[in-house]
Amino acid sequence: MSKPFLSVTDIVAGYGNGPAILDGARLEVEPGKVHCIIGPNGAGKSTLLKVIAGVLPIRKGEVIFKGERLNGLRPDQVLRRGIAFVPQERALFPKMTVRENLRMGGYILRDEKELQRRIDEILERFPILRERAEQHAGTMSGGQQQTLSMARTMILKPDVVMLDEPSLGLAPKVVREMFDIMRMMTERGVTILLVEQNAIMGLKNADVGVVLDLGRTLFEKPAAEVLTDPRIQELYLGGRKAA
Amino acid sequence: MEIIQIIVLGLGLGGVFALMGAGLSLVFGVMRIVNLAHPSLIIAGAFVAYWGFRMWGIDPLVMLPIAAVILAAIGVVLYKLFFEREAKSAKYSEMTVLLTFAVAMIVEGALGAMFSNTQRVTSPSYATDAFFIGDVFIPKGQLYAGIVSLAIIGGLALFLKYSRLGYAIRATTQNREAAALLGVNVNLVGIQSFAIGIALAGAAGALVSFVFSFFPAKHWEWIAVLMSLVVLGGMGSILGTVVAALGLSVIAAFVGAWIGSTWSTMTFFLALFLVLLFRPQGLFGEKPELV
Amino acid sequence: MPAGLDTETTSGVLEARRAYNATLVRKADQTRATWFPFAVLAVLIALPALQFAGNYNYVLHLVLLTASYVAMASSWNILGGFTGYISLGHNVFFAIGGYFAGMIMARYGVSAILLAPLAGLVAAGFGWVIGLITLRVRGPSFIISSIALVMIARLLFDNWQFVGAANGVTLPVTELSAQWSKLPYYYAMLAIAAVTVWASYRIKHSKFGLGLRAISKDEIKAESAGIDTRFYKVTAFALSAFFVGMVGAVWGEYLTYIRPSIFLVILIAAYMVLMCILGGKGTIAGPVIGAILLMAFNEIFVATMGASELNILGTGLIMALALMFFPLGIVGTLAQKGRLPRVLNWD
Repeated sequence: MSKPFLSVTDIVAGYGNGPAILDGARLEVEPGKVHCIIGPNGAGKSTLLKVIAGVLPIRKGEVIFKGERLNGLRPDQVLRRGIAFVPQERALFPKMTVRENLRMGGYILRDEKELQRRIDEILERFPILRERAEQHAGTMSGGQQQTLSMARTMILKPDVVMLDEPSLGLAPKVVREMFDIMRMMTERGVTILLVEQNAIMGLKNADVGVVLDLGRTLFEKPAAEVLTDPRIQELYLGGRKAA
Repeated sequence: MEIIQIIVLGLGLGGVFALMGAGLSLVFGVMRIVNLAHPSLIIAGAFVAYWGFRMWGIDPLVMLPIAAVILAAIGVVLYKLFFEREAKSAKYSEMTVLLTFAVAMIVEGALGAMFSNTQRVTSPSYATDAFFIGDVFIPKGQLYAGIVSLAIIGGLALFLKYSRLGYAIRATTQNREAAALLGVNVNLVGIQSFAIGIALAGAAGALVSFVFSFFPAKHWEWIAVLMSLVVLGGMGSILGTVVAALGLSVIAAFVGAWIGSTWSTMTFFLALFLVLLFRPQGLFGEKPELV
Repeated sequence: MPAGLDTETTSGVLEARRAYNATLVRKADQTRATWFPFAVLAVLIALPALQFAGNYNYVLHLVLLTASYVAMASSWNILGGFTGYISLGHNVFFAIGGYFAGMIMARYGVSAILLAPLAGLVAAGFGWVIGLITLRVRGPSFIISSIALVMIARLLFDNWQFVGAANGVTLPVTELSAQWSKLPYYYAMLAIAAVTVWASYRIKHSKFGLGLRAISKDEIKAESAGIDTRFYKVTAFALSAFFVGMVGAVWGEYLTYIRPSIFLVILIAAYMVLMCILGGKGTIAGPVIGAILLMAFNEIFVATMGASELNILGTGLIMALALMFFPLGIVGTLAQKGRLPRVLNWD
């Protein structure tokens, strides 16, 4: 196996001084692929993403990215190393325009010209955003906001983009468009980590499936295998008929 | 033509109030702190300008940037002493408001102990001079104060819209977690915003020093007025505060001219109660109740 | 796959849970020393006997002043401590009570002490109406409205010719001898203070008080639990105005004149708040302790440094320190650590 890209090993983490939500979670992320994390509520899916992003402190275990240990880094430091995170609430600035939101996406870039170039590039690639470049983010629809948050991650040309329940509150057609955007991103070499409540749909659109339960990783296999595994169907996909 | 005169007077004062309130709004937006000590710091700024004039004959408009810098420094000290702990959580809490109330008393007490409670006013030549345009009588002092205020506010707006720190401030105000995720050092932004807010208070103070007569305890009158403006404009919206300040001051000027000067101050308070009755979130506020 | 739960581990877990929960329960059953407040009251009632021995008018004055603040702070506590709405302008009701009783006394010669309950009702009435408006908002907006309220009142009273505007009205002086002239006011204030503390105790331990506490913790949840938060809040506001109004009535007559600058100064409002914070917001003994402490500080301060702006500086400093390091107040902090002396547990 080639040098590990992003390895998450035996993570123990929780909120504040509370109990450990994650207890032995692990992940081997393969570059350029879409990984979908599924599991019941409270299993620690969002927690895992937050741990990688540096939003939550790690109590035990390690996150190693391209040979570097990410434990203890602040979120912006993780961002600088190439891992972007879009939380459930989409992290947009409602009273800023689309353009300004994109600019904030590149906040850590000091080169103003380069930043503007990248903003224009993104606007080119996403016509929906280009049409609304001067519109306030808060007035856009859910789908448009999701597009904006995903597009915004591209400003820094990250290696990994993590999305926490991106389909939340979106109509099915919009969700399909969103997965198309994800495909576009992977075609450009971005690795995607996805937490999806809607397990079947998430797995169908992914390359690798990860099942998290009771704070630990139970399965990590190609998505197709996860989808068709009868035990997983029984426990997490709503029965054999569902898939 | 009296009408034009009243409007000009109102706008002049309104500009000063707008500047006084802008700093308040800024700090609230970033840190969710209602700084009841803000007006007392304006008075401190007024004293700085006053003494600059008394001792060295420096024009208050020239003292303005000096007062701003001095007050910014004082602001940082106060922040480190009292507010740093609370600011980190950036959630509104009554205790923090009471703390700012306590700081207001501390500032007033310190000023009073140093300078006593006599009324003072800075008197550069233009404070008592006026322009006469036809029938209209425009006091120079208020005119200058109004213009300078609006210029500073304009500068603030440009700063917030186009500078990198301005972006960081706006981002932190609108979505603190998101800003942190994208690399904004929200704690540093907090201190910087606070310093800027108090600097604005210092600048306002320099203007106030020749527009009003002041003394350490005067800030109580302004707490109520400024707070009314901030609620009226919508907590956290600088634009709202400015609009409210200008609008209400003009109305208050008319009330003062036609009914009596006591009632002109009342206008602000009555407006506050009306807003609470009919539109608690103010003009540009976000939700029906507190943020 | 999830491990099966056998009975052994289950009961083990349950036991551990129970033990953990036990540590969380606040030691709420510290025994009360109910005799203590009554003992204090008895001593205070007997105190004027000192006048037989010599001129202790100043002591009586101090106790009277402290009692008035005990009443006002305890009253404020109903809104600020129990319900969680901080009012920085509560002295408005002090003024309303004082002026109402004072004006009637000036015109018709009826003693303000007798009018006190009526004055309280009038203040409560205003509280009700004002509360209907200002309690529509929470948090900072409410605090701001309370400040605006005081300023409005000050402006109104300063300019209202009927009540003498800024100069106020002089009230007829009592005809008692110098030795006993303070007594009626002394006992009146003591009575008001006792009633207020007792009332706040009853309120706290009533269903109404429970509702108030729910509102102070999380108003939205209280609303969805079926509590008519509007009614509760406004009633609390009115109640907290009632006692303050009574104090105002007695105070005006005691001073023999009513004037805006007596009632409507920010320091009084600040004191009410500070006393509750120092003593313990939301407790019964808190405002009492806070009032005594602050009055003591004040006396020492004035005696050593003279009244001045330093007074305001000192008050501000005490408040800041209390808020930063003892937000629960003396009674509150001690109670939390389980070290509250029985005599101070009036809850």
